[in-house]
Amino acid sequence: MKSLKSFGLVMVLALALGMGAGCAKKNAEVENVEPAPVVTTSAVDAAAQQITDGVVYFDFDKYDIKAEYRDMLQQKAELMKQYPSIRVRIEGNCDERGTQEYNLALGERRARAAYEYMIRLGVPAEQLDIISYGKERPAVEGTGEAVWAKNRRDEFNVIAR
Amino acid sequence: MSTVSTLDRNDVREYALASFGRPRTRRSRTLFKGVEMRNFINFFHSFRMSVLLMAMMAFAVPCQAATMVDIYGPGQNQINLAMAAPLTAPNQRATVLGAELNDAINTDLNFLPFMKLTSPAAVLGGTVLAAWQGDQVDFRRFQIAGADLLVTAHWPSGDRENSTVELRVFETYSGKFVFGNAYSGVTHAEVPNVADRFCDDLMEALTGARGFFSSSLAFVKGDGRKRDVWVVRATGRDLRQVTNIPGSAMSPSWSPDGRYVVFSHLDDSTHALGIWDRLNNTVKRVRFPGNTVIGPCFLPDNRVAVSLSTGHYPDIFLLNRQFQRERPLEQSAAINVSPSFDSTGTKMAFTSSRLGSPQVFLKDFTTGTVTRVSMDGSYNSEPCISPDGTLIAYTKATPSGFRIFVHDMVTGYEQQISFGPGRDEQPAFAPDSYFVAFTSTRSGTSQIYLTTRHGGEAKHVPTGPGNASFPSWGK
Repeated sequence: MKSLKSFGLVMVLALALGMGAGCAKKNAEVENVEPAPVVTTSAVDAAAQQITDGVVYFDFDKYDIKAEYRDMLQQKAELMKQYPSIRVRIEGNCDERGTQEYNLALGERRARAAYEYMIRLGVPAEQLDIISYGKERPAVEGTGEAVWAKNRRDEFNVIAR
Repeated sequence: MSTVSTLDRNDVREYALASFGRPRTRRSRTLFKGVEMRNFINFFHSFRMSVLLMAMMAFAVPCQAATMVDIYGPGQNQINLAMAAPLTAPNQRATVLGAELNDAINTDLNFLPFMKLTSPAAVLGGTVLAAWQGDQVDFRRFQIAGADLLVTAHWPSGDRENSTVELRVFETYSGKFVFGNAYSGVTHAEVPNVADRFCDDLMEALTGARGFFSSSLAFVKGDGRKRDVWVVRATGRDLRQVTNIPGSAMSPSWSPDGRYVVFSHLDDSTHALGIWDRLNNTVKRVRFPGNTVIGPCFLPDNRVAVSLSTGHYPDIFLLNRQFQRERPLEQSAAINVSPSFDSTGTKMAFTSSRLGSPQVFLKDFTTGTVTRVSMDGSYNSEPCISPDGTLIAYTKATPSGFRIFVHDMVTGYEQQISFGPGRDEQPAFAPDSYFVAFTSTRSGTSQIYLTTRHGGEAKHVPTGPGNASFPSWGK
């Protein structure tokens, strides 16, 4: 994603250069393009990115961590132990089908399932927060199992590094 | 502010002397018992002097059941009600506040599913009468139009600002006076309030239950990640926003004493118990260990039950009067959410996943026993127990989407009371245990509707633009 944005910026800059510096209006447009992303070169940033990237998905009305996500959580746990300054908020989410109060509880169970797994892997509790968003913050809008499957999830949000 | 006083059938001057108050105080669910009691009290108001006691007793016999509605029975009753044209004098139509008040009463009465308003066009000879009470009232034209009840309105000194109106209700077949009230100091702004008070009195006279027209709903309004608590009269008037804080409010509950609305509140990083204090119009957020606050609900003693998670499953806890965690009310190795209490506080309906999928359960605090309520279906949640403890309304997942069902705790009988389309959810019993508010997406957006314990046509509660959800009754 970031490399795409960088590529886009380069293209815009190239276009702007191609149009010449004489046109003030065009230059103003170039200035409005979003700034180039900060290059994440440091190791802790790379670790944070890796922790954020992996999302854990769940079956309908379930909160058990499926076997296919255990390696991913293991990897996150190792990174967090390696970089104790990293703090992560595990955000539990549900698809739109259930009712709101029950889904807040189900989201809590999903977040806590990952939390407990990582605690067992040795991550200090001080590095972990949890929150349930229930069905209030879908990753993907729409209906149908393809959409719902993307919304029954734990996200790992790095809140300090 | 207008004032109200009780009228009798013959003495229209009494309103100038009578104290304020309700025309009847007795509430009865038994059809004939109710009739007798109401007649007794009506006549008591009519003939206060003891010398007329014998005459009063002679008249205190049950009137036709046609004018009674047993709203707690099978729910098949219907009453036809006609409004006579408001009068300033015999045959003189009141066209200013008189017309406004009749319209406001019409609007209110449309919220009563058992009430069918007789069209003025169906009344041969018209609705402008030569009298507003007594033998000169031509009941026959209303009988022929099919009306069971007639409401007359008389504005003795005209219907301009700050005037008085006398409203009377009669049975068209017997000419029997049901009740009457005079309202003084009526202004344009007060017209809807006069209509509400009159309709509360009428509802009580017909059913024994009062309070609907003066009740309010707290609810959640807004979109996406900004949703606040608003309040509105059950009939859609007096809409106003009471919280304005970043994040999403959910599950408001109104304290029985009317002072607080509590709600769960969700922002980017925290859950909290939101508390709106009506007394000083302040809002505060109270956080709890575990960062999980779901579905708060007031008990009859003005304490709050709420689901909190403290490293275990979300369980239902009782808070003390400072909104701090006091003790668990229901704990198990499963999700326990959405508590709801009857008016005695001894019965709590709630949702639990202890059998795998969400189901509705009832806890009886006098025995400590927990019994399963919902038997069919794999997703039953959001229970609301009626204040009288006899029914539990809840949301069931059906093949056509979420629908509201009512479970009779006495017979075990279940009845579907909402029929979509879209999602119907979040049922909330009114204090009268008759009306049920709920949320539905039947119009495309999420909106609040009213139905009754018997189901029937749902009435939309106007709440302005934006999604509305989580209705909760208050005073």
